[in-house]
Amino acid sequence: MMATKNAEALAAVSKKYEWGFATDVEQDFAPKGLSEDTVRYISAKKGEPEWMLDWRLKAFRKWLTMESPDWAKLSIPPIDYQDAYYYAEPKQKKTIASLDELDPEIRRTYEKLGIPIAEQEVLAGVEGARKVAVDAVFDSVSVATTFREELKAAGVIFLSISEAIREYPDLVKKWLGKVVPQHDNYFATLNSAVFSDGTFVYVPEGVRCPMELSTYFRINAENTGQFERTLIVADKGSYVSYLEGCTAPMRDENQLHAAVVELVALDDAEIKYSTVQNWYPGDENGVGGIYNFVTKRALCQGKNSKVSWTQVETGSAVTWKYPSCVLAGENSVGEFYSVAVTNNRQQADTGTKMIHLGKGSRSTIVSKGISAGRSDNTYRGLVRVAPTAEGVRNFTQCDSLLLGDQCGAHTVPYIEVRNPSAQIEHEATTSKISEDQLFYAMSRGLDQEAAVALIVNGFAREVLQQLPMEFAVEAQKLLGISLEGSVG
Amino acid sequence: MSDAVLDLPSTREEAWRWADLGGLAAAAALAPIAAPEADFLDLPGAKLLFLDGKLDEARSDLHRVTLIELGGDEHALGRRATGTGWSLRLDAQAVTHPVQIVHVATGRENHLPSEIVLADDAAAEIVETFVGAGWQNRFTRTQLGKGARLMRSVRLLQPAGFVSLREAAQVGEAASLITVFLGAGGQGSRIDAQLTMAGEGAFVEYGGALLTSAEQKQECAVRVNHAQPNGASRQVWRAVAADRSAVSLAAAVEVARHAQKTDGEQSLRGLLLDRTATVNLKPELEIFADDVKCAHGATVGELDQRALFYMQSRGIPRTRAQAILTRAFVADALERIGDETVRKGFEADADAWLDAAL
Amino acid sequence: MLKIEDLHAEIDGKPILKGLTLSVNAGEVHAIMGPNGAGKSTLGYVLGGRPGYEVTEGSVTFDGQDLLELEPHERAAAGVFLGFQYPVEIPGVSNVQFLRESLNAQRAGRGEKPLSGAEFLKLARSQADALGLDQEMLKRPVNVGFSGGEKKRNEMVQMGIIDPKFAILDETDSGLDIDALRIVGDGINRIMRQPTKAVLLITHYQRLLDYVKPDFVHVLADGRITRSGGAELAHQLEREGYAEIAA
Repeated sequence: MMATKNAEALAAVSKKYEWGFATDVEQDFAPKGLSEDTVRYISAKKGEPEWMLDWRLKAFRKWLTMESPDWAKLSIPPIDYQDAYYYAEPKQKKTIASLDELDPEIRRTYEKLGIPIAEQEVLAGVEGARKVAVDAVFDSVSVATTFREELKAAGVIFLSISEAIREYPDLVKKWLGKVVPQHDNYFATLNSAVFSDGTFVYVPEGVRCPMELSTYFRINAENTGQFERTLIVADKGSYVSYLEGCTAPMRDENQLHAAVVELVALDDAEIKYSTVQNWYPGDENGVGGIYNFVTKRALCQGKNSKVSWTQVETGSAVTWKYPSCVLAGENSVGEFYSVAVTNNRQQADTGTKMIHLGKGSRSTIVSKGISAGRSDNTYRGLVRVAPTAEGVRNFTQCDSLLLGDQCGAHTVPYIEVRNPSAQIEHEATTSKISEDQLFYAMSRGLDQEAAVALIVNGFAREVLQQLPMEFAVEAQKLLGISLEGSVG
Repeated sequence: MSDAVLDLPSTREEAWRWADLGGLAAAAALAPIAAPEADFLDLPGAKLLFLDGKLDEARSDLHRVTLIELGGDEHALGRRATGTGWSLRLDAQAVTHPVQIVHVATGRENHLPSEIVLADDAAAEIVETFVGAGWQNRFTRTQLGKGARLMRSVRLLQPAGFVSLREAAQVGEAASLITVFLGAGGQGSRIDAQLTMAGEGAFVEYGGALLTSAEQKQECAVRVNHAQPNGASRQVWRAVAADRSAVSLAAAVEVARHAQKTDGEQSLRGLLLDRTATVNLKPELEIFADDVKCAHGATVGELDQRALFYMQSRGIPRTRAQAILTRAFVADALERIGDETVRKGFEADADAWLDAAL
Repeated sequence: MLKIEDLHAEIDGKPILKGLTLSVNAGEVHAIMGPNGAGKSTLGYVLGGRPGYEVTEGSVTFDGQDLLELEPHERAAAGVFLGFQYPVEIPGVSNVQFLRESLNAQRAGRGEKPLSGAEFLKLARSQADALGLDQEMLKRPVNVGFSGGEKKRNEMVQMGIIDPKFAILDETDSGLDIDALRIVGDGINRIMRQPTKAVLLITHYQRLLDYVKPDFVHVLADGRITRSGGAELAHQLEREGYAEIAA
């Protein structure tokens, strides 16, 4: 009885990626492949100053000498970096005076995705949602940024990084590459050379950003990599909550997404960074899908500064991502809350690094990995306590849930402690949804998928409740959808 | 001697991330010393004394142990240990008195292979002790038949140098392998083990206490592979690091696709006695079966300050209180040693280390 | 309401029920008693549709509908409630969330509108009060950290909220002290003692029957009903033991 049901659900699963449509829009591409000329093309397209081009070229030359990392628990066919486009821009007027001038096809795309790029809208389907300012990035460029004026009045700078390079060169120069150095890793170096767009946020001293900021990333064009770069600087005593979401069309070939996100929190500042990552994961046989190689790092430079990463990772064929905190400030706080779901042939290798340098710095890591189908899900983390960091506290909880017997769940935590006053605690468990739990929920009237979704949401609850309300609803649905047909 | 001459993997490789390759090279280059006294526990049974990897027949009593030609394994350490080594092979249901082996080194390097092969329902106990200086490298292949039981205790008491132990074990159906290590000398060490639970319902307990001081580095790198269902494994390791020393504990549990009902447990705990000391932990789980119970706990910290003060307020000097609490911390890892004489001997070694370190 | 005919069921190929026949009409309370291992819990699980319990022969109809064809949640939507002997713990899922989703799924199955959050909370609180379950426990994860008695009371709260037509209560009295037993008994009477409803009480002891008076008592032994009678049969069993009566 259950077996039949499972087979039906499995058959239906390939239809479940609702965001897989493509938008037909005229685009300008950079010549295919990667060379110094590609880097110059991108820089020229953006009208960048000389220093920025030099910075990119330096990264590109470095990248040529580097090798793709192979330490993660991932099996990835070699990527042909010459067989992709590094820049795709929808053809439209360079600067648009109002949203009415935005290409209606692109506008429709965001409407379909439920992303409010007009200011009067709120996130689709959520009652009582607060205002959310959105930067919409379509392939390589930012196509709309909302609520700019209202934010400006509060002193908050929120615009695409291309604009920021032109309009606030000093701020960008001061922080770009300071948290994630150009040569940090293979993908970060590549990003430094060819990053196309992304978001820049600066919250001045003492300002509490009046609304949630968000960026919505959409890969549309074929054979195109997306290399966005996000830089958020929270000055003394400021607060900002930032959300990002991502989707892509269903395509048979793999597409590369190699982003870099840098966060800086000065004294008493707090940044809350939430991600709902739903790139196209490929089909049930592992054909297509996004390679998601992302470097995210926060520098908690100031005393009492705090950075909290929350991520819900349901998409991408391959995820390689370790949002980290360098806790340099005295009593600074780093948090990492993660739910990673893998189904079918997806592979995820994700986790965090908490580098404790400051006295009294504290960190919390809560990771929930859910594996289904023939997927592999790895938590990889590092907690390091420097000799000078007195009174450090860390608590780590890593739980894995396996749905089915063809998937894998792995936990690879590294703990390196060089100060005796540290208190480091790490716990991990692995479990499955028991027949009893499933039957109990079903005997109360839930069908199998609803029962699984309920139990999985319970498993992930500690993480989901960290998300802003608007995203939490979305994320819960996403967990259910991602796992449909995965339990027998 | 450089790493290149030793031909060992670099610390860029994950499994060697925390390895003290420099210490190993330095140990191999140590000038010879006079052979220290052999140290057998007062127990019946076989007694073997190896001097720089060669059996000292005059001072040995082999009983059922034989010397035969043995190979190493593919591993960077194991492949060096080939040639004449010791072998304990027991027939079905055979039981022996404890086999004691003392490894004495006078410097430079020596390599020795060994094998422990227990047929169905056989039981054996082995106690090994390392003393002296230089680099002693051992390869031990263990094979346990259905229902066989092995209790092995190994203590590293070299004042200087390095001991590397490469261990490969196949544990058969319902067989039990218990191994306890105590690193309480001044040497560097690497315990590098691959244990495969090849039969259903096998039991493995593998752990110990590594105590370091001065500039010393000791580490374990253990992988327990649950290849069959219904197995249980426990890895209990304790690290105590003083001065500028470092202990690294890397313990992995792998559960194969069909190894359902596996119960895998890891407890890795580190205690830092000085602000310049380091403890590294890596409790790793690699799980491919869905109906398993695998959990690990890992902690690093210092002694409970409230407990220390409480004991002091009752009149116990602080250093003594520290010793008592540290001893209790270490005792968790040694309590599995079945034979009381052996356990007492190991505890005395740990106490001596604590007295010197605190 | 419920008609079981010549029911044979097995677990892992081992026959447990061997030709059980039983009819339950609206307005009736039936007690199934019997020695350990007679198949009492199996009967409950078979009626609830627990996977692994295979029906090899016979039929079960509920209001004329073939019950055995239905998925467990469809049976619930049809009005069948199974009270578990060992209620299951579900970490991270609050009682409130669990129950609201359950109830609304059943209502949807019957084409009824879902209850709003406020309506549901009011209902849940009144049921919890009636059964002496601390309201705080509604917010706690399902059965996690509950004592045996609390778990059983929680089952009754669920029954009160779901308001089923037919309840199968498996050893609901186990783990309860005398006060809790009375509260649970009152709960069963209040929720289920109605002309349109029916109850199947599965129990080893007759003590719950002091509070919930059965109309019929059946002795289940070796997978079959060996004797049926009125409430007095329970007392006789208590006095004389199963060995005498069941034979």
